[in-house]
Amino acid sequence: MLTSEEKVYFGILVILTLSWAAIDFARIAAVIVSRPGFSVRVVLSRAVRRLPSMLTQVGATLPVFRLRPREGVFHYLIFAAFSFYALVNVLDTFSAFTGFSTIGQNVLLDAYNLIADVLSVLGLIGMAYFLVRRFVQKPPVLNFNPGVVLYPKVSAGGIRRDSLIVGAFILTHVGSRWLGTAFHLAQAQETSLYLPTASVVSLALAGLPAAALAFGVHATFWLAVGLILLFFPYFVRSKHIHIFFAPLNWLLRPDRPLGEIQPLKTDGRPLALQDLRWHQLLDTYACIMCNRCQQVCPAHNAGQPLSPAALEINKRYYLTDHLHEFADGSAPRVPLLDYAISREAVWACTTCGACVDICPVGNAPMLDIIDIRRSLIEQGDTLDAGVQKSLENLGKQGNSFGASGRARAKWTQGLPFKVKDARKEPVDYLWFVGDYASFDARSQQLTRLVAKVLNDAGVSFGILYEAEWNSGNDARRVGEEGLFEMLAEHNVAALDSAQFKEIITTDPHTMNALRFEYAKMGKRYKVSHYSQVLARLVDEGKIVLRPQNGVNGATRRRVTYHDPCYLGRYNRVFDAPRALIERSGLQLVEMPRNHNGSFCCGAGGGQIWSANSKQAERPSEQRIREALALGDVQTFIVSCPKDMAMYSDAVKTSGNEGKVVVKDIIEVVVEAMAESAHEPKR
Amino acid sequence: MNIIVIVKHVPDLVEELEIAEDGKDLNRDFLKFVVNEFDDQALEQALLLKEKGGGTITAVALDAPEIDQTLFTCLAKGADKAVKIVGDLEGRVTSHAAAHMLADALKAMSHDLILTGVQSAEDLDGQVGPLLATYLGEPHVSVVTGVEARGQMVVVRQEYAGGVTGEFEVDLPAVLGIQAAPQPPRYAPISRVRATMKEKKLVEIQAAAADGAGLNVRQMVRPQVASHAEMIEGNTDTVVERIVGIMAERGLMNG
Amino acid sequence: MGNVLVVVEQLNGKTGEITFEMLGKGRELASALGGELHALVIGGQADELGIADKVWVMGDGALAHYTSANHKAALVAAISAISPRVTLIGNTSIGMDLAAGASAATGIPLIAYCNALRVEGGQVVGTSQIYGGKVLAEVAPEDGACIVSVLAGAFPASAGRSDKTPVLETLAPPALDNRVRFVRLIEPEAADVDITKAAVVVSVGRGIQSADNIELADGLADALGGVVGASRPVTDAGWLPKSRQVGKSGLRVKPKLYLALGISGAPEHLEGMKDSGLIIAINQDASAPIFDVAHYGVVGDLFEIVPALTEKIKG
Ligand SMILES: Cc1cc2nc3c(=O)[nH]c(=O)nc-3n(C[C@H](O)[C@H](O)[C@H](O)COP(=O)(O)OP(=O)(O)OC[C@H]3O[C@@H](n4cnc5c(N)ncnc54)[C@H](O)[C@@H]3O)c2cc1C
Ligand code: SF4
Ligand code: SF4
Repeated sequence: MLTSEEKVYFGILVILTLSWAAIDFARIAAVIVSRPGFSVRVVLSRAVRRLPSMLTQVGATLPVFRLRPREGVFHYLIFAAFSFYALVNVLDTFSAFTGFSTIGQNVLLDAYNLIADVLSVLGLIGMAYFLVRRFVQKPPVLNFNPGVVLYPKVSAGGIRRDSLIVGAFILTHVGSRWLGTAFHLAQAQETSLYLPTASVVSLALAGLPAAALAFGVHATFWLAVGLILLFFPYFVRSKHIHIFFAPLNWLLRPDRPLGEIQPLKTDGRPLALQDLRWHQLLDTYACIMCNRCQQVCPAHNAGQPLSPAALEINKRYYLTDHLHEFADGSAPRVPLLDYAISREAVWACTTCGACVDICPVGNAPMLDIIDIRRSLIEQGDTLDAGVQKSLENLGKQGNSFGASGRARAKWTQGLPFKVKDARKEPVDYLWFVGDYASFDARSQQLTRLVAKVLNDAGVSFGILYEAEWNSGNDARRVGEEGLFEMLAEHNVAALDSAQFKEIITTDPHTMNALRFEYAKMGKRYKVSHYSQVLARLVDEGKIVLRPQNGVNGATRRRVTYHDPCYLGRYNRVFDAPRALIERSGLQLVEMPRNHNGSFCCGAGGGQIWSANSKQAERPSEQRIREALALGDVQTFIVSCPKDMAMYSDAVKTSGNEGKVVVKDIIEVVVEAMAESAHEPKR
Repeated sequence: MNIIVIVKHVPDLVEELEIAEDGKDLNRDFLKFVVNEFDDQALEQALLLKEKGGGTITAVALDAPEIDQTLFTCLAKGADKAVKIVGDLEGRVTSHAAAHMLADALKAMSHDLILTGVQSAEDLDGQVGPLLATYLGEPHVSVVTGVEARGQMVVVRQEYAGGVTGEFEVDLPAVLGIQAAPQPPRYAPISRVRATMKEKKLVEIQAAAADGAGLNVRQMVRPQVASHAEMIEGNTDTVVERIVGIMAERGLMNG
Repeated sequence: MGNVLVVVEQLNGKTGEITFEMLGKGRELASALGGELHALVIGGQADELGIADKVWVMGDGALAHYTSANHKAALVAAISAISPRVTLIGNTSIGMDLAAGASAATGIPLIAYCNALRVEGGQVVGTSQIYGGKVLAEVAPEDGACIVSVLAGAFPASAGRSDKTPVLETLAPPALDNRVRFVRLIEPEAADVDITKAAVVVSVGRGIQSADNIELADGLADALGGVVGASRPVTDAGWLPKSRQVGKSGLRVKPKLYLALGISGAPEHLEGMKDSGLIIAINQDASAPIFDVAHYGVVGDLFEIVPALTEKIKG
C-alpha cells in the first residue's frame, strides 16, 4: 500500500498528466473535426454499424500480419500485453491505495494473474524483438529512397528516437510491473501457481532484507503506474498515439470504394493541410510509421523519391509542431509541397492503391497525392510533355492517342461480321472498349478476338462507335478534374442514347470509372470485366473449353497471372480470370504478390503517358523478374490492354525475350477453344 | 507592351480528310478543327513576354467552327481580351483574304507587336504573317524562335536550316511569325476554360470585304499512301544501289 | 514574255542547294514558256549561276546581310523592274519572309509549298502540298504572273548547275528599310544534337546489339548530314543519351528521311516517327510492324547493309 504522502503525490500526478494529455488530445480532435466534410451524425452511425467488424479487425490486429507475418506475431504480443495492462494498471492502482491483493482470492483473479504474468513476459519479448530489429538489424524497409522529402525532425532521426523512448518505456513499464509482482510475492513470502514467472523471480529476491523488498514494491509501482502517467502527455505527441487513432480510423474512415474519389475545390492555390478533408488528417494520426505502404509502392520500388509513408509522417510531424495554431485556426497556409512531399514524387504515383490496401491502420495516402495533383493542374504546373499531350488529345478527340475520334471503331474492320451499334438497336451487353483496346495496334487484334468469341457464343452485344470517349479515369487521377467531368458527361449522354442491360469493359481503369465514379453522377451501371463475361459464358456452356493440356496424364503447362490494380484491388475481380486459366487446362502458379497484394505494372494514374525516365528498374521489369523466379513458367497472363503494352515491352527490356511470353486471357481462352474444336466429336 | 496574337483554326490532321465533290476544297461537313499548332506557340511566346515585362495580350481570330472554345482557352491561359472577326467566312478563307480582314481590324487596335504562328496547314497562298505585315506596313520576321523586348524594339532570333540562327533588332510595331516559344505551350485546365466562358465575353468585329488570292484551285487530290513498305530485294549491292537512288531522287544526298 | 526569275538564296556567302533545284526547274519552265531564265542575287555574289541566261545583281554591302525588310524591298523593286512571269523563291526561312511579303506588296498571286510545276496551254500550273502533305492542290494563277515558293528537295539540284558564264547585270537597290537590323549569326553548338530539327535521322533499335556498334549509325548519319536517333531500349541501355529517343516517351520527329535500323516498330515508337517524309526500314524480320509505316523496306542484316550504304554514299 502507498503511504499517504505517496497517495497525494499520485493524485497530483494523475491530474496534471491526464489533463495535459487531454488538452492536447482535444486539440487534435478539434483539428480533425473542424475539417470540411466532418458530420457527427454520419460518423456516429458509421461507428455504430462498424463496431463489431472493427473489434474483430483490431482485436486480432489482422492487417498487421500482412506483408510482415513475423512482425505481426511480435506486435501481437505487445498489443495483447498492453491492452491487458489497461486493466492491470487500474487494479494495481486500486491495490496500491487500498492494500487489496489479487493473489489467492478466487478463480477469476487467479486467471487474471496468470494472464498478466504470461503476457508480461510475452510483451517484454515482443518489445525486445522490435528494439533489436530497429537498432540492431536495421531492416532496409525502414529506410527512405534518396530524394524523398523528410521533415527535418524525421531526417534527424526523430522516428528512431521516438521508437527508442517508447520501447524503453514499455520495457520499463511492463518490466517494473512484473518485477513488482515478484517483490510482492517475496514480501509476502509466498509463491503462486498462477504467477509462474513472477514466482520464480520472487525466489531469487527472497533473500533480500525487508526494507529492500518494501522499497522494491514502492519503486516498481512508481516505475510501472507512475511512469505511464508521466508518459501520457508524451504519448499524444508520439507515433504510439496510433493505439487510439488506428481503431478510430477503422471505425470512422469513409466507406467509399477505393476507386471513387471526391471532388475538391482548391481555388487555384497550392494545397495545404487546411484543404484536406477530416479523414486525411485522421490518417496522419493513425499512421504508425511502419513503411508498409512504401514497401509496396511501385514508384518507391523503382527508386523514385515517392514514399506514401513519408507523406503521412511529414504531415504528422508538421501538425504536431503546429498543433496550437491549427487548433485555434491561426496556422498559416503552408503548401504541402514545401515540407510533406516533392512535386516529382507527386507525379510519380501510379494510383495503384497498394498503399491504401496494405496500410494496417486504414490510411489512404494516395488521396492526398491526387489532391495535390489537382491543385497543381489548377495552378498551371508545367506538365510532363507526354501527359500534357495526352490530356490535350483527350480534350480534342476523346482519346489519349490523339487519333481521330471517328476512328474509334476502326478495329472492327476485318471482323467477318458487323458489330452492332448500341445507339441504334438494343443489345444485352454494351461493350465499352476503351482507348488501348481500340487504338493500340498490339491490342486491336486481341479486341477482335474478344469480339469473335462473344459473337460465336451468341452474345448480343454492341458498341457506341465514335460516341465512346475515354472514360476519364486516368485524367481524373492525373488531377484534371474538369476534363474528367467533360468526358464523363459525354459518355453518360452516349450511354443514355443506348439500350442495354449490362456494360462490359476491356480496360479495368474504365471499369472503375463507369462503376464507381459515374455512380456519383447518378448513373448506376452494372459493369463487368470481359474476363467475368467470358467465365460466365464458359459456365453456361456457351464457350466450350476442352483443352488437351493436362488430359490423359499429360502435364499441365505452368503459367502465372498478373492481377491488374484496377481489376483486383479496385474492382475486387480475382476469380474470373483464374477460373478461365484453370478451365483452359493450365496450371496457375501464383507469384508471391497476388490478388489484392499484386504489384503495379507502373502504367496507371497517367504514368503510361509520361516519360518517367528516372526509374532505376521499371516496376514492370521487376514484375517479370518475379514471374521468372517461379521457375519453369513461360507464360505471363494479363487481363488489361495496358498490361499487354507494359509487359511485352518489359520482357524485352529486361532481356528475357524467349524466356517468357505475355498473353492476354482471351488468347488463353481461344487456344483452349481451338483445342476443343480439334477434339474428335463423340 | 501590347501584343496581339492571331489564332486560327485548321482541320485536325489526324482525321481522314475528304475532298469535296467539286474537287476544289476539303469536304468541310465533317471536319474537326483544332487551333493551328504554331499559333499556340505564338500565344505562349506572348504570355512569356507579358509575364516578364507586363502589358496586355489580345487574341484575335476569324470566325470558324468551334473558334469560341479556342478563344476562351487563350483567355484561360492568360490573354486579356479575345476578339472574333465575324462575317461571310464560309469554306476555306485564303491567306490573302484573311490578312486583309485582319489588317482592317487591327488598324483600329493599338498594338506594339503582332504574333502569328509561322505557318498553318492551310496556307496554300502563303503565310498570313508577312501578308498581314505588308498590308499594315509593318516590318516582319518569319520562323522566329526567340523574342526579347528591349524598349521600342524587340530582339528576335530567326532560325535557318542546320540549326544556324540569325539575330535581328526589329522596330515596333512589327509582326513576327513564331516557330517555337522558348518553352512548350502551357496546358489550360478544362475547368478554368469553362469558368472563363462564364466570366468573360468575346468581342465581335465585323469583317471587311476582302479579295481572294488570285489563284484558281483546279483540283485537290489525296496522295496515294501505301499501307505497307515497298520491299527492296536483292543482294547487298543492289539494295544499297536502290536506296541511294531513292534518296537521290528526293534530293537527300547533298548533306 | 515568259521569263522565269529565280531568287538566289545565300547565307553566310554560301548558295543554298534550293537555289540549284529552282534553277533546274526554272530552266525547264522558261523554255516551255518561251522565255529566259533569270537569277536575282541580292547583296551577294553571282558565282555558280551559269545555267541562268541572265543574273541580276542588286545592292552592295548594305544588303550583304539578309534582313527581311531590306531584302523584301529589294525583291519587290526587282520584280517591278524585271516583270517576270514566274518568280521562284525557296520555301525556306528566308523564302517565307520574302514570298508572301512580295505577293502582298506587288499583288501577284503566290503558290506556296509547291512541289511540282508545269506549263499547260501556256499557263503555269503548280502543285501545292498542304494539310501536312495529306492533300495536293493543283493551282494556277487567275491571270499571268505568279510567285511560287518551292519546297526544298522537290526538284533535282543537278539540273541547275552549269559551268557557263552568265550575263551579269546590275540593278539599283531600293531605299533601305532599316526597321529590321542584322545583329549576328549564331552557329549551333556542336555538343547538343536536336533530333527534332534534323532533316535526316538514322535511328537504331535493339538490333544494333551493343554500344560499340552505334558508330555504324554515326558513320551513316555523318555521310547523310543527319543525326542518330534511337528506340527506347537503346537509350535505356545507355548506348545513346535519352535526348535521342524517338517515340511516345521520347521525342516526336518529322525529318525528311528516317532510317530505321533494327527497330521492330512498336506502337510507342511509331508514334514518334510515322509522319516522317521518307521512311526506310532495315530489319531481319519480314513481319516486323515497322514495314507497315515505312515507305521502303529491306529484309536483311543491318551489319551488312549499313557499312555498304555508308561507303556508297561517301562515294
Ligand atoms: C509506356 C511506354 C512508352 C514507351 N515509349 C517508347 C518510346 O518513346 N520509344 C520507343 O522506341 N519505345 C518505347 N516503348 C517501348 C516499345 O514498346 C518497344 O519495346 C520498343 O520500341 C522496342 O524497341 P526496338 O524496336 O529497338 O526493339 P525490338 O522490338 O526488340 O526490335 C529489334 C528489332 O531488330 C531486328 N534485328 C535484330 N538484329 C538485326 C540485324 N542484325 N539486322 C536487322 N535487324 C535486326 C529484329 O528483327 C527486331 O525487329 C514504350 C513502351 C511503353 C510501355
Ligand atoms: S497509389 Fe501506388 S504508386 Fe501511389 S503512392 Fe500508393 S503505392 Fe505508391
Ligand atoms: S500510412 Fe499506413 S502503411 Fe504507411 S507508414 Fe503509415 S501506417 Fe504504415
